[in-house]
Amino acid sequence: MLKLHNLSKVYRTDEVETAALNNVNIEIGSGEFVAIMGPSGCGKSTLLNIIGMLDSPSSGDYIFMDENVAGYAESKLSNIRKRNIGFIFQSFNLIDELTVEENIELALLYHNIPTAERRERVAHVMDKVGIAHRAKHMPSQLSGGQQQRVAVARAVVGDQAMILADEPTGNLDSAHGQEVMEMLQALNDDGTTIVMVTHSPAHADYARRTINLFDGQVVTENLREAG
Amino acid sequence: MFENYLNTALRNLIRHKLFSFINIAGLAVGLAAFIIILLFVRDEFAWDDHWANGENIYRVETTIEFPVREDRPTSSTVDPLKDIFLDTYSEIEDIARYMSFSITLRKDGELYNQPIALAEANFTKFFGQKYIEGDPETALLDLNNVVISERVAKKYFGDETALDQTLSFRIGGEFRPFRVAGVIEDPVVDTHMPVEVILPYNREYLVGSRWFTEDWRFAIWAMYVRVQEGTDVDALQADLPNLVNRHMPKNVGGQETGAERGMRLDLVSIKDIYLYSNTAAGDAQTLYGFVFIAFLILAIAIANFLNLSMARVAYRAREVAMRKVVGATRGQIVRQFLSESIFLAVLALVIALTIVELSLPYYNAFLSVVVDLSLMNEPSLLLLFVVLGIGVGLSAGSAHSLYFSLLKPRDVLYNNSSPNPGGNMLRMGLVVAQFSISVALMTIAFYVNKQTEYASRLDLGFNPENLIVVSGTNNDKSEAFKNRILENPFVLSVGRSSDVPTEGSEDRLQMRPVTGGDLVTLDGLPTGPDFFNAYQIPLLAGRYLTEDEQDTLRKRNSQTGYNQSANIVINAAGARLLGFNDPTSAVGHSASVNLSTDTSFEARIVGVVKDFHFDSLKAVIRPGIYYIDYVRQSDMSVRVDAVNRDAAITAITQAWREIYPDSLLQYRDMANLVERQYQTDTRLGDVLTLFTVLATIISCLGLYGLASFTVERRTKEIGLRKVLGANLKDIVGLLLWQFSKPILIANLIAWPVAYYFVSDWLNGYAYRIDLDAMPFILTGLLALVIGWATVAGHAFLVANIKPSKTLRYE
Repeated sequence: MLKLHNLSKVYRTDEVETAALNNVNIEIGSGEFVAIMGPSGCGKSTLLNIIGMLDSPSSGDYIFMDENVAGYAESKLSNIRKRNIGFIFQSFNLIDELTVEENIELALLYHNIPTAERRERVAHVMDKVGIAHRAKHMPSQLSGGQQQRVAVARAVVGDQAMILADEPTGNLDSAHGQEVMEMLQALNDDGTTIVMVTHSPAHADYARRTINLFDGQVVTENLREAG
Repeated sequence: MFENYLNTALRNLIRHKLFSFINIAGLAVGLAAFIIILLFVRDEFAWDDHWANGENIYRVETTIEFPVREDRPTSSTVDPLKDIFLDTYSEIEDIARYMSFSITLRKDGELYNQPIALAEANFTKFFGQKYIEGDPETALLDLNNVVISERVAKKYFGDETALDQTLSFRIGGEFRPFRVAGVIEDPVVDTHMPVEVILPYNREYLVGSRWFTEDWRFAIWAMYVRVQEGTDVDALQADLPNLVNRHMPKNVGGQETGAERGMRLDLVSIKDIYLYSNTAAGDAQTLYGFVFIAFLILAIAIANFLNLSMARVAYRAREVAMRKVVGATRGQIVRQFLSESIFLAVLALVIALTIVELSLPYYNAFLSVVVDLSLMNEPSLLLLFVVLGIGVGLSAGSAHSLYFSLLKPRDVLYNNSSPNPGGNMLRMGLVVAQFSISVALMTIAFYVNKQTEYASRLDLGFNPENLIVVSGTNNDKSEAFKNRILENPFVLSVGRSSDVPTEGSEDRLQMRPVTGGDLVTLDGLPTGPDFFNAYQIPLLAGRYLTEDEQDTLRKRNSQTGYNQSANIVINAAGARLLGFNDPTSAVGHSASVNLSTDTSFEARIVGVVKDFHFDSLKAVIRPGIYYIDYVRQSDMSVRVDAVNRDAAITAITQAWREIYPDSLLQYRDMANLVERQYQTDTRLGDVLTLFTVLATIISCLGLYGLASFTVERRTKEIGLRKVLGANLKDIVGLLLWQFSKPILIANLIAWPVAYYFVSDWLNGYAYRIDLDAMPFILTGLLALVIGWATVAGHAFLVANIKPSKTLRYE
């Protein structure tokens, strides 16, 4: 699916230079479920941003589906991203002014899909995550768990091959967290590649592989035995 | 896609009601002001646009040039010019002339005052007035015909056909019947020539009138020329001095022309008469000023929108970031937000047009104008407004659209802090700009109003209150009329003269100063012995004129003309001009006075009166000379009792009916004549005040919105300050200071600009107020106080929040 080769990210301000990522080499195959762990400030989110093409590396290569996208311009990245990658955030990032249905539809809006088909796919995915009865509600009328289900629905409605989840359970109680993890598990079972940043070892256990970051470097990679 | 944009836009509007209100209201008020000003200005520029062939029609205007004093512009020409023009310039196709009067009309025994035009036969053909009834070819050929407008026909004949009916006009002391030979369309409102009754010109009516001359002495005709299509009018204009030079008789004395007087002729396009002619009633300069103000107000409103939109980007940043994450391109984001602000601008425009429609009647009444707005009849105007709405939307939405298009999703989605784009510099810069405009307008409006007030309190040198000026009294019955009204106890005194204050004098007399040297010119005014008394003009030295033989320059029905000698009165300025150190020393002085190049008399000064205004109140009082001439006493000024004014006027009307049964009393109120001189300035002051208030309101709306935003952003900081020991006063002071800075800077920008405009404007006045620093400082303070009042609520609100709350907030 993707391969990071000697990838570094340096943030510069006028006086200070901070290396957020330092020579990172990671390969993630299609259909994998990978968890990224590490203490605050270790570069997890930066890594996820670069994988998600919301940010570009300072140096190194990023091969995504056999294409080195490291030097691509924003519009090109945006185009690749919208076809292949879905996002789930800790703070849900639903748009307050849009209904559940419309929030999910947003992910199809920039794909030139006819309205009827959009509606159909949105309805389908709402069923799948069990939020159909809330279709006309506003995000503020939903519980955290429900909101995250909407976010999951939005991430997958475009049939994205990969989902990037940044602490998807961070704002949820354990029961709802469990629910979201099971949803991700199910998506992965259907073949979606999942890359998830998490603090929770229990939730990391859903992944088949865990990458541990520290000070911008990969320190260990653990493979969980199947079963 | 569009539906999605619309939903987010609408729901954002509803969610942030205050912000939406301020944004839309500010824009709507700004647009409304902009549209009203432009409609008004458009109307002013559209005067006399309706004439068929108007681009080839020019009025010939005469300016009498005097060697020693300022020129006297008129809107008319002397009689011989028509033939000379036609003989000289082959490019002139035709010439139309008319004179206007107000005369008495009789219909079924009732008398009416009716303004008429005495016009040459080609008049309606020349101007292309449409005949509803009658034959345009022949209507004015017969001297016993009259052509009237529909309105006049309706007035005198109701629903009957007016054609072939008879109207009687009082001409030369007797009523003459005229047959209605044509009914023309009513004149439009915006014309300098609202002619409704046209009588064919007949010189017999006028022969014997003092001013009626068929030579170069008096400019008696309003004269219009029509040139061939494509004529080089500038070349024609350039040749006019030569034409005057060739034809004007030399060394011929006259009231208006003669050896020492020159004449300048100007061709004024009929479309320019209202704004640019010698008798322009409008003022193009002021109109351009208004257009400038209109754009300033629009700029303030756009700056508001821009500023508030930028201040609120935090609320939309997450949405934009999410849209980008799911694939929106920069172009799509820009399109979304530009169309959103266009949508808001068009919404504001619709509200603005509603405001305009609703406020126009008040606006028209306020300014005594007739501006109207009919979009249905004017698709081009509608189109222009649509373009305006889109333009305003584009410019108002440009900043935040651009910002959003450049926004990086990761900066928003992973950060909890809100973005603060463009920094405070841009926002404060816009507030500075808005308040600069407001403060400058405030200062200018203040001075315009103050000058107008000053002018209206100016000592005129006479008392204009309760003074009724009766016209048409230059005849043999006037003494009887005067005596009759004086019998009424409420008629206090009666003064007679050839002209009255505010009209200016048409006589220019020359005398030699006691110190010797060249002749000097004084404005002459033929009066009766009672003039100064009625006007309550104080005497500085000597005595007033009396009915005494020696005080009379010319008797009524005098066969011999002017007396060889007569006593005169001059004003203080006249005494100074003649070289006297003080009024007293002028009394008793004798000198020769030239009435014209060939007429003079030996004058003895018997009195000196205080200077009083006779011309425009904007002009300096000129040296004046007053003498008794019973031949020229057109106006009778009647001072009436203040309390019993109505009874006095009834008595005057009654006396008129008895003594002049064939005509109607026509009178003017001197106080009105004076007031009319201030009218333009009063109107200017009113308009400026109105738009200053609007500009300030819009600026304050912006400041208010900005304050609410700033306060929201600074709650955490303020919480921390409180924890560290700041008290309520410190916090409120801190916030007020934040908003005082831009207002203070705005003052520094506004002052010199306002100073420049105000001093330039005041230079047009001979009697004017002085500029001093105080009003500038006071308007500055006022702006500051308004600014404080606008933000104080927010400041107190946030300063009172408990730190525990604000710190937990984020």
